[in-house]
Amino acid sequence: MKAKGKGEVKVITGNAAAAYGAMLCRPDVVASYPITPQTEVVEQLSRFHADGLLDAEMVEVEGENSAMNIVAAAAIAGGRVFTATSSWGLAFMYDAVLQASGFRAPVVMVNVNREMPGILAVSSGQQDMICTRDSGWIQIVVENCQEILDSVIMAYRLAEDFEIQLPVMVNYDGFYLSYLAEAVHIPDREDVDAFLAPLKEQPERTKLVPGEPLGCGTHGILEGFMELRYKHCAAMERAKKKFDEIDQQFGEFFGRSYGGQIEEYRMEDAEIVLLTSGSACGTAKAVVDRKREEGLKVGLVKLRMFRPFPREKLTQVLRGRRAIGVIDRSVCFGWNCGPIYMELRALTPEIGPVPLLSFIDGLANMDITVPHIERVIDTTWAAARGEPYQEVTWIPLEE
Amino acid sequence: MAERKKRLSKVFNYFCAEDPFAGGVAFCSGCPLELTLRFTAKVLGRDIVIVGTPSCSAPVLYGQNIGSWHKLAYYSCLMTGVASSATGITRYYRKIGKDITVVCFTGDGCAADVGFQPLSGAAERDEHFIYICYDNEGYMNTGIQRSSTTPFGSSTTTTPVGVARRGKETMAKNLPLIMAMHKPPYVATATLSHLEDFAKKLLKAKEKKNEGLAYIHVFSPCPTGWGVATDMTIEVCRMAVRTNFFPLWEAERGRFRLTHTVAQPRPITEYTKLIRKYRHLTPEELDRLQREVNENYALLRHLTQLGEQA
Amino acid sequence: MVKLKIYTKYEAGWSNADESFLCLDTGSWRTQRPVVDKEKCIYCGLCALYCPTQCMLDKGDHFVPNLDFCKGCGICAQECPRKAISMVAEGEFQE
Repeated sequence: MKAKGKGEVKVITGNAAAAYGAMLCRPDVVASYPITPQTEVVEQLSRFHADGLLDAEMVEVEGENSAMNIVAAAAIAGGRVFTATSSWGLAFMYDAVLQASGFRAPVVMVNVNREMPGILAVSSGQQDMICTRDSGWIQIVVENCQEILDSVIMAYRLAEDFEIQLPVMVNYDGFYLSYLAEAVHIPDREDVDAFLAPLKEQPERTKLVPGEPLGCGTHGILEGFMELRYKHCAAMERAKKKFDEIDQQFGEFFGRSYGGQIEEYRMEDAEIVLLTSGSACGTAKAVVDRKREEGLKVGLVKLRMFRPFPREKLTQVLRGRRAIGVIDRSVCFGWNCGPIYMELRALTPEIGPVPLLSFIDGLANMDITVPHIERVIDTTWAAARGEPYQEVTWIPLEE
Repeated sequence: MAERKKRLSKVFNYFCAEDPFAGGVAFCSGCPLELTLRFTAKVLGRDIVIVGTPSCSAPVLYGQNIGSWHKLAYYSCLMTGVASSATGITRYYRKIGKDITVVCFTGDGCAADVGFQPLSGAAERDEHFIYICYDNEGYMNTGIQRSSTTPFGSSTTTTPVGVARRGKETMAKNLPLIMAMHKPPYVATATLSHLEDFAKKLLKAKEKKNEGLAYIHVFSPCPTGWGVATDMTIEVCRMAVRTNFFPLWEAERGRFRLTHTVAQPRPITEYTKLIRKYRHLTPEELDRLQREVNENYALLRHLTQLGEQA
Repeated sequence: MVKLKIYTKYEAGWSNADESFLCLDTGSWRTQRPVVDKEKCIYCGLCALYCPTQCMLDKGDHFVPNLDFCKGCGICAQECPRKAISMVAEGEFQE
């Protein structure tokens, strides 16, 4: 099946792309609360609503905690929902974030990555995504503005799938993508309707209905509790393959696909691997190309699905390489390394004792520059050649 | 033989449905919450959706695994999420063209403290639901701790009486007045000694919630937590009204009126003597409490006079 | 492939009163029970209205408590306008 309409290309910011993505999917309830660098998302959605382009119940809430409770409850009542947040807002809504996933509410939310408090920063960083990695949500990270719009649409297909029924968080770098204007192809609404139509053919999920003796949020007792947790984990497992399928169908429908759980860039014969996520991947691809011209067999793995962790895909693609360098835009407290690096270490039994290097960069709007990435690749290549290496490098802090 | 009334109390006429709760549920003997819940459900009917919070009512409102203690649809929240979850449910149903009746049922700990922010937001936005706050003046389910509606002088486990301290030092928040200042379509105070007044207010709330928030503050003495004999629950409610400690009023968009006037208010000591949590209070402390009652009532009288003039 | 016991058909924490309607044996809690004097009763129904467990049964011209659920709080006896109800210790009854 292919999209029928042409859509239109507009130069819009990442935030606007997120708003367009949500608007095209016709949410029933949208909760708005401002927080830098996400504010434009809710402003744009409010603008769409005022101009008659978005027929939704708009709720201008008094705090992010309410925003998440509102959309989770509306989803349990049977609706399609949307909200947006960032760092502190995500922290404030944390109890409701857990409720949304535990209740299996198919909420779609964009989280515009910003440094978490503890050190005040109004700047980009992935710490907020890391702080919620155990919340039971599906988490996706994207590289550019087009991918933001497309991923929001795919997020609804994933969240509301009868076999999944999990909330999905689409993460994108604050400041780097939120305020970056790029040419973005905006599909026609009818085509988005058609892409989401398969959801209507599925069985209906359990809903809250007045007059029916069904209650959402029973106390889980012993095995009853364990069974629900088990089902939640099983659904997250299913989400991996489902995400790949949806990405493939999106590619067939709209002509753009992203690889599903991970994107492999020049990985066929790569001896060393650079692994990272988010907007840094754009720069990383350019550096990989440059290094390839110099004769180095390097490839990039772009991590798109962070939760559930693409264990099988990564095992398959990382096996047999000589060294792997991971750039993290956050830290893992207690392990003194990057969090994605730390999770990759858990794959060592399957991928073998290959040198794994952690690079911490890009906190608080520090640019991950071409020279930084070149240094990452050079260091990783040295490790591949058997030279002694430092496990964790804080790139901007070292001479 | 005694003269028999031919008719039952007219309060029975307000019931439109059977009690949806199981015969035996986990409320203390003499608990006002049990009466409030059963009464509310019988007056408002079967198709209400109850939104609850961890509290004394949670073990009854929420199920256990697949089992449930009642036949109503419900949605369980954390204390921070009650008014916001009710907003989400009602907004979705309004989107699909149905103005359903959602009833939030929480204690004062949720409404006045940790869940106040979303309640305030929902009131300001004219959200369409009923919010019933049962005020038992503390966090009772966790074992009797003070909340911001605990009255001055109360002995609780976090404001105990000893050499260094004599119970709660500050006056209670006047939550129904605060809610009325949001000027929602309907705010009312009610209690269980005046059941017809309560039933009327429930029905009015059901009608008014179609315009915005309908808030009812129900005075609920906790026999376990306050030190009241289990058979005195209703009498304590009555005495709270008779001393003007808990006047019965309603306000529509900020226009106040009393629904019950007490001709000769009794001194507050006639109320406090029924309740063990006040037994340590000195005459000076009781005077302070009496002054607070008088000031609150005087303010209410002014507001009702303004309501009459408008 | 591990075979698992199934406790609920739902994916999340839903309860369903039609499938499982719970009830506590609250009648076993009480230490005293209401005894209604039919002759004094004027059938006003206040005991039934004020009973927290709503367990008073309408017998047409008077009320009696449903002893399966009566918790023995004594509110009915306290509120009865004709003092037609007295609370009697459970020990007085042989069952």
